[in-house]
Amino acid sequence: MTRRLPILFVLGAMLLASCGGGAKKQLAVAFSQANNAEPYRAMQNAFMSKLFAQYPDVKLAIADAQQDNSRQVAQVETFIRQKPDLLIVAPNERAALTAVMGQAVDAKIPVICLERDILQPNYTSYVHSDNLAIGRLAGQFIVDQLTKKYGKPKGKVVAMRGLLGVEGEINRDRGAREVFDKYPEIRIVAEPVADWIQAKAKDRMTEVLRTEARIDAVYGHNDPMAIGAYLAARELGRDKEMIFVGVDGLGGPAGGIRKVMDGILAATFVYPLCVDKTVEIADKILHQPGFKPEKEYLLESAMVTPENAARMYEKFTVPGMN
Amino acid sequence: MLVIGMLRKAQSGAALLGIVGLAILISPTAADGSRIFLQVGNLTDILRQVSLIGIISLAMTFVILTGGIDLSVGSILALSTAVAAMGLTRAWQNAPYARHILLAIALAVAASALAGALNGAIVATTRIQPFIVTLASMIGVRGLAKWLTDNQNIDIGFGRDVAAEFAAVFREKAIAIGAYAVCAALFWAVLARTVFGRYVRAIGDNEKAAEYAGLPIGRTKIWVYTLSGLLSGVAGVLYAAENHQGNPNAGVAYELDAIAGVVIGGARLSGGRGSISGTIVGTLIMGILTNMLRLNNVDSNVEMMIKAVIIVLAVAVQRNSD
Repeated sequence: MTRRLPILFVLGAMLLASCGGGAKKQLAVAFSQANNAEPYRAMQNAFMSKLFAQYPDVKLAIADAQQDNSRQVAQVETFIRQKPDLLIVAPNERAALTAVMGQAVDAKIPVICLERDILQPNYTSYVHSDNLAIGRLAGQFIVDQLTKKYGKPKGKVVAMRGLLGVEGEINRDRGAREVFDKYPEIRIVAEPVADWIQAKAKDRMTEVLRTEARIDAVYGHNDPMAIGAYLAARELGRDKEMIFVGVDGLGGPAGGIRKVMDGILAATFVYPLCVDKTVEIADKILHQPGFKPEKEYLLESAMVTPENAARMYEKFTVPGMN
Repeated sequence: MLVIGMLRKAQSGAALLGIVGLAILISPTAADGSRIFLQVGNLTDILRQVSLIGIISLAMTFVILTGGIDLSVGSILALSTAVAAMGLTRAWQNAPYARHILLAIALAVAASALAGALNGAIVATTRIQPFIVTLASMIGVRGLAKWLTDNQNIDIGFGRDVAAEFAAVFREKAIAIGAYAVCAALFWAVLARTVFGRYVRAIGDNEKAAEYAGLPIGRTKIWVYTLSGLLSGVAGVLYAAENHQGNPNAGVAYELDAIAGVVIGGARLSGGRGSISGTIVGTLIMGILTNMLRLNNVDSNVEMMIKAVIIVLAVAVQRNSD
């Protein structure tokens, strides 16, 4: 036991050091993020940190739920105990987070629900975009490109799917399918599942390329998967045979907009980070007593093609960030 | 003993042949009537797809032979992709390409080996179980990779810069498959033909006996975990090239795939029994299974269920010889 005492002492000291300081009055904003591992969400975190840094009286704390519902529920519960001045939640899944966000509302904490919806309106405000509309836009873009290629709407499409059962995946898929279904000569010839992950999409696309002698378009339900499919086609010297379309449209050198500029993606559809709107509302909630936010803010997508990519890159790249 | 060993090998070989036979039987056919599964391109696709897990599982075989386990390999792979990509894009800007690439690779592999050595040192000098030590480093090294990269992917483009040149060379199928083959040959030779290999096996077979016989148990363990880190680092470099990115979130759950390969290959998790050839067979069984199911467009949910059954069957077939 005596040998372990120094270790305990060091651990205790670390604990004290990490929660020390901070006696002066600050406004606390707590953000529960579903999963830092997705580039889209990492970008949300970085952007949010940057925007809140403009307000010296605001202190932002971000918790990462690592794509785990129960972890996120626990994190939100802890935040509720801390009584922040504002709680922002990007829910991992609808059903799991609905109740705990209700507890936050009951505790009189203003709650902003970011980007994914929950089953009951247990929030002060809901900021989101529309995946179904994005799916339709992407589908229509592919139809237009195929019409240009063949003189009429026909061709073979590969749908590279994200994590099945997630709202974004369901609606990005459904929106495009609605459009394709209007044209009997446009067929989805394969729909491999790559769980949003680029490396997986490359492997799954390789197999599709082996079985399909001709492919006209790949619709990646996010940009990394569209890029993974491109890498597979390029390896077999077939990248010129088809176009690659993605969704997310992140800025920065590793984002999808850059890939449109590089000629890898034919188009990407911006799924707004929703962060600038959120911080704008947050600022008013925190600093303007009596401000009543709307129940819902719907942000529009934007199509990024080689024609406007450079301009969009400027707009969606946060300076000083990767 | 020898007869049983040969029988067991024959049986894991038989399991592999069975899967290959099934894959040939149900393979879809190309336009010219040939079976797609048997195309050289497809067979090398499989080898490439299993090469990263395959490389990791070689050292994992050593770890498991000593009665240990290494859960940190996926995180170390991520660290390696991140260090390699950062070395390529953010350091040594004026070095000639060849030297720059070698430095970046060396740095990535060295960092990975160091992480492995740390695992080994803790396992060897404390009585903490390897499962717990490497569980901790799985978490810690993942954190390190994310911290280094600020949670962002580090992009390797397609231009003419040094990073792009690195990817162009090391994403080649022949490189990945060749690296797997070379590592396999080396690890086979070390295990079968050297004193060190005998120590590895003896420690897992009966650690007390090995101790009384005066074998260098601590040193052997440190080496085994260092090798595991090193090979994870090699796999990370290949991952970075193949996917054109340093990705702090790469390799999640790779430890399970690697362990599955080792165990399907006939190794015993409590140590002392296992072989490089068995591990290679186990890894190939998993790779061929995935390829076979994807070529036939099997529903991805069904694919998971089929895999579960086959894993249990493959191991059961071998256990019957005990």
